[in-house]
Amino acid sequence: MNALVHANDTAILVYFVLLNSFYALLLVLSIPEIWEQTRLAEDEDFQRLMHSGALPPITILVPAHNESATIEASVTAILTLEYRNFEVIVVNDGSKDDTLERLRHAFDLYEVPRTYPEALPTRPLRAVYRSRTRTRLLVIDKENGGKADSLNAAINASRFPLVIAVDADTLIEPDALLRLTRPFLLTQGIAAVGGTVRVANGCTVKDGRVTDARVPRRFLPGVQVVEYLRAFLFGRLGWNRLGGSLVISGAFGLFRKEYLHAIGGYRTTSVVEDLDLVVRLHRHLRRQRIAYRIPFIPDPVAWTEVPESGRILSRQRERWHRGLLAAMWLYRGMLLNPRYGRVGLIAMPFFTFGETLAPFVEVVGYGVTVIGLSLGAIDLGFALLFVLVAWGYSMLLSLWAVALEEVSFRRYRRLGDLGRLLFYATLENFGYRQRTVWWRVRALAGLWKRGHAWGEMVRKGFASPS
Amino acid sequence: MTSTHLLFIIALAQGVLFAALFILILLNRWFRVRRSAELNPRRAELEAVMQRLALGRARAEEVLPPLERVPVPVAIDALVTWSARVPGERWQELARALQRPWWARLVRANNRSARWWKRLECARFLSVAATQHDLGRVLRLLRDRHPAVQIAAATTLERLTSPVLVTAALDQLPFLGSTVQAYYASVLKHARPAVLRHLQQLFRRLDDPRLPRIIEFAGRLEEPILRGPFTTLATHPDREVRTQVARALGKFPHAESVAALRFLVDDEAWPVRAQAVRSLGMIADPTTLDSVRDGLRDAEWWVRLRAGLALTRFGSPGRNALLATEVGGHAEARDMARLILGLSDQALAEYAA
Repeated sequence: MNALVHANDTAILVYFVLLNSFYALLLVLSIPEIWEQTRLAEDEDFQRLMHSGALPPITILVPAHNESATIEASVTAILTLEYRNFEVIVVNDGSKDDTLERLRHAFDLYEVPRTYPEALPTRPLRAVYRSRTRTRLLVIDKENGGKADSLNAAINASRFPLVIAVDADTLIEPDALLRLTRPFLLTQGIAAVGGTVRVANGCTVKDGRVTDARVPRRFLPGVQVVEYLRAFLFGRLGWNRLGGSLVISGAFGLFRKEYLHAIGGYRTTSVVEDLDLVVRLHRHLRRQRIAYRIPFIPDPVAWTEVPESGRILSRQRERWHRGLLAAMWLYRGMLLNPRYGRVGLIAMPFFTFGETLAPFVEVVGYGVTVIGLSLGAIDLGFALLFVLVAWGYSMLLSLWAVALEEVSFRRYRRLGDLGRLLFYATLENFGYRQRTVWWRVRALAGLWKRGHAWGEMVRKGFASPS
Repeated sequence: MTSTHLLFIIALAQGVLFAALFILILLNRWFRVRRSAELNPRRAELEAVMQRLALGRARAEEVLPPLERVPVPVAIDALVTWSARVPGERWQELARALQRPWWARLVRANNRSARWWKRLECARFLSVAATQHDLGRVLRLLRDRHPAVQIAAATTLERLTSPVLVTAALDQLPFLGSTVQAYYASVLKHARPAVLRHLQQLFRRLDDPRLPRIIEFAGRLEEPILRGPFTTLATHPDREVRTQVARALGKFPHAESVAALRFLVDDEAWPVRAQAVRSLGMIADPTTLDSVRDGLRDAEWWVRLRAGLALTRFGSPGRNALLATEVGGHAEARDMARLILGLSDQALAEYAA
């Protein structure tokens, strides 16, 4: 028994070292990337480009399901973005509340005939509306089919070659589109661009815009600020250099429409349609031998409301992990397959053996440690040291993300906010991390029980400035 | 060394790193706050003198000391911002004055820097402060390997016209993405004669794979002198060339354009047919009404849509053609006519865009 515990312990230690070495690599790679991106973000003369008419036209896709609390402010904010040529397509996905009524009232909608071929299959459309007051706006009312189905309906109706999927509850920075099109100015063969999403809870919001970025005082949303910084500022930036980013946030990501058509649009049976879409995009482009890039820009472009209660957060995290598990299983053919280049040889193994398995290994690690301690097979000092190192590493990564934010975009201006960020980065590992690990482990069970159910997400809406 | 020792060393290293990062973050914040407090009055001073220059109440030489007192990136940002607000002659005077300060000479020297952000800084500076003495530097920056540097250097063409620079920019054109191409088109409009001369030479290279991109760019210029070369290329074997020609010809209402478009509406490739009917709609020559109406019966949905939209630009005859098709025998043409007739004026305008 002791030998078994020791073998387990060694295996977990090796896994831990390998995984963390990879995180360290991402961390190192994020340094030149953020340096370069910050330089470009600061140096570019956006106004000049904006007036040159050079920027590509964009369609913004806004799926909305029971978003009556935020829909008017969100759509108004989207319609007033600083960009020359864009249209907004809002899809009311069979909302049970008065989302459509609010839209109809706020934007003076009138029904128009459908004027496009429905290339991607979707749930039946009820009606298509245009606005008398906002010429850029098109509203589609359709039967409930989920977010992916709504996005497909919006892609069908879109006129422009680039599309951006935006969550209806997402608050977008006024110059977000300009920033997001930056890679199109710098590189050819861009298939998609991901932008940074920040936590809007606690921020001052005026007319659908974040006017004052704050770190929430409540622990749960506050700690998610650090999580988002970590995920976006060094995780995805590091992947930029490795060329195999698998995730573009569903809350704000730009795609070339012709590729979305080629892969059949969003998959309606996936619970994390953004991950699923990007993996399929990689698969298609690699198979067709099309030279492409899917860059990520670190500029904060969108703000989203995160769950404030453990119950809602657990559902969200379970769903994310369930989707990750399902996607890794579904696209297992790409795993370690040289045909898919860096995606098959680096990204897929990392997401499969790292991101997917990490919570299970961590739970097994805690279990083995407890068993080992009770059998006397593990020294208490060693066990404590091991846990300290594992948590300490995680703390370092969080602090690093805070440091990157501080040297680059500095959206949290107040010293109190910085203090709170440091506080959450330090305390995240004591209790919160274990909860998220447990939620992610539960996702495996949910994979069979819940299939592709989403679970309710309760929105509070954004308060006006006091 | 046991695994406990190893873990202990790692924990110790982590502790040191943790403390260092913590201190670094706090020091960085303190440094930035202090720097910002020092910089703000100097920025305000620079803004004030720039304002006076724009109003003609200050000489160019008076701007130099406040520019020297702020960091170089801030000075360049201010120059780029104010370059659009200060009248041309006064700005030329400032550009000449900016040849002398030590910091401007340093920025100019950065056109050969190994670091791209230094070259970008130089390109941005030259985009607003270049004189004839800087032609060589701008040429080098136009051919830079970093696209951000190229874009900034291309902006110089708005202020500094030279056939050498125009040729260099046009040579780069086919290798650029369509977005950057469009930007080049907007800046090259200022050097139109040199651009047109060079384009006419490029049009003669019929087997050049860059031809479609060059035609796309030339179409954006909407220059009547280019109509002749466009119509000649209507029979080019490359589909992409014919598509670009069909698109460009819509901007030239002329009998030769119409003849070429009549030929292109029967092209084997549907993108060419779609662009050709669209362009015929833009010209709206009554003699082409039948050709456009035939487009409603095309096998491809996009061609039918373009034909339907084009018919709306012919006024009453086009509307009558749509009404006749709406009750006609061709099912797909009937559906498209019904769809177009159901569109509001606003929706029509948006679809035609």
